Amino acid sequence: MDGLIRKSWWKWLGVALLVYVFVAGMLIPLKPNVPLVSHAFDRPNNKLILDLTGYNTQFTQQAEETRAWLCFPDSLRPHISSRSISVTDDQQARLTFDLPASLPGDEDFVSLSLIVDGSVDGAYIRPDAVRLARVDFEDVSDNQWNYDKITGLNELSRMTFPARRIIEETIRNTYFHVALWLAMVILFTAAMVYAVRYLQFQKRSESGAVIPVKNGLDLRKRADLWSLALTEAGLLLGVLGLLTGFLWAKYTWGSYWSGDIKQYTTMVALLIYSAYFVLRSSFKEPEQRGRTSAAYNIFAFVLLIPLIYILPRLSENSLHPGNGGNPAFGSQDLDGTMRMVFYPAVLGWTLLACWMASLRFRLSQMQTKIDEKWEEEEWPVAEEAKSNVIS
Amino acid sequence: MPRLILTTIIFFICKLAYAQQSPDVPADFMRSLGKIYVVVGVIVIIFLGLVFYLWRLDRRLTKLEDQNH
Repeated sequence: MDGLIRKSWWKWLGVALLVYVFVAGMLIPLKPNVPLVSHAFDRPNNKLILDLTGYNTQFTQQAEETRAWLCFPDSLRPHISSRSISVTDDQQARLTFDLPASLPGDEDFVSLSLIVDGSVDGAYIRPDAVRLARVDFEDVSDNQWNYDKITGLNELSRMTFPARRIIEETIRNTYFHVALWLAMVILFTAAMVYAVRYLQFQKRSESGAVIPVKNGLDLRKRADLWSLALTEAGLLLGVLGLLTGFLWAKYTWGSYWSGDIKQYTTMVALLIYSAYFVLRSSFKEPEQRGRTSAAYNIFAFVLLIPLIYILPRLSENSLHPGNGGNPAFGSQDLDGTMRMVFYPAVLGWTLLACWMASLRFRLSQMQTKIDEKWEEEEWPVAEEAKSNVIS
Repeated sequence: MPRLILTTIIFFICKLAYAQQSPDVPADFMRSLGKIYVVVGVIVIIFLGLVFYLWRLDRRLTKLEDQNH
């Protein structure tokens, strides 16, 4: 890392990756979907009418060829296909279904999924589109449930991000909020590695070995300064992760702070890491400061991993995906298109944070050198002054 | 100068409050357009965090320069 500090290619790489992340992450549209479905019955004719409000849909361009099915949620069978569709505009359409004579199975209620298919928007599914009760079905119909598999669905040719209810456009926060946390863990790991190196050099110097000097500072001191700089940049990422999480939570989970297990544990982890700086500032003597803070940094990292990765997964309930029995980011949530942006985002934020840490490192390196120079110059002066006083 | 900055800030706050009352903007600004402004807010927070770091670095450099002279 020390050799790279004056090179600029990786700084540009980080910036280029982030520019790509911002452009692709903001410009790729969400998959067409129908966030709003309202239903009504046309009783004497035994018809079910669904009014769709689409998002990113182009109903008018595929008006004649749009097909739709209402189907049972798990296997998408049995299903009924729509009788007619009337399109008002690109976002508004009305579907009419002939209700079958009865509800199969022995449940009194059923929540049906809606599948809409067309050549422009491709096929998409709206889970829980309409809830029907057994009494809604009247034995006057000759329409039957169809047990065949739905075939001939169109594939969407455009690049899109998955459309999820409640999350909606904020799925893009994956590249900012989630990637920030991963970058934080990478930085804290690097800080921990430097803390271990500090202690190794410390041990070597105690056994009498000479520690190599590089750029005017011995490697042990440099390890201490690297550990400090990386922890500082990592903590900034963590605080930003928490703040962005507040905002995201407000509009998806309902409040800034839901008392979620992962919110608590990350808060605790960040408090542990902020105590690192308090600890540092309480020592005047550099060697003591370096040794204690290196040990504390390793301790904080050892706590960080169970706090943010293990405990939330063990707990009974959590709002975060992948924790407390929630499904993790499955292929439906983090699909191929999102991965194409997400992984560069993690790398980009990490490189940017490393750049910030390297600036901080160079600053404290200069500071340490100046301090040492001052001490060297001051000592003889002080001795002289002392001898003057004595004589 | 500080007075001018304050006036500008207040002007924009008033402007924002006014914009939220106009009928063609939905009642909840942050939830409009598929909650895209939540993403905008997240990016603004990150930007301010980076600026904060830059400002801290600036302070530290100033201290170093003062010491060196």
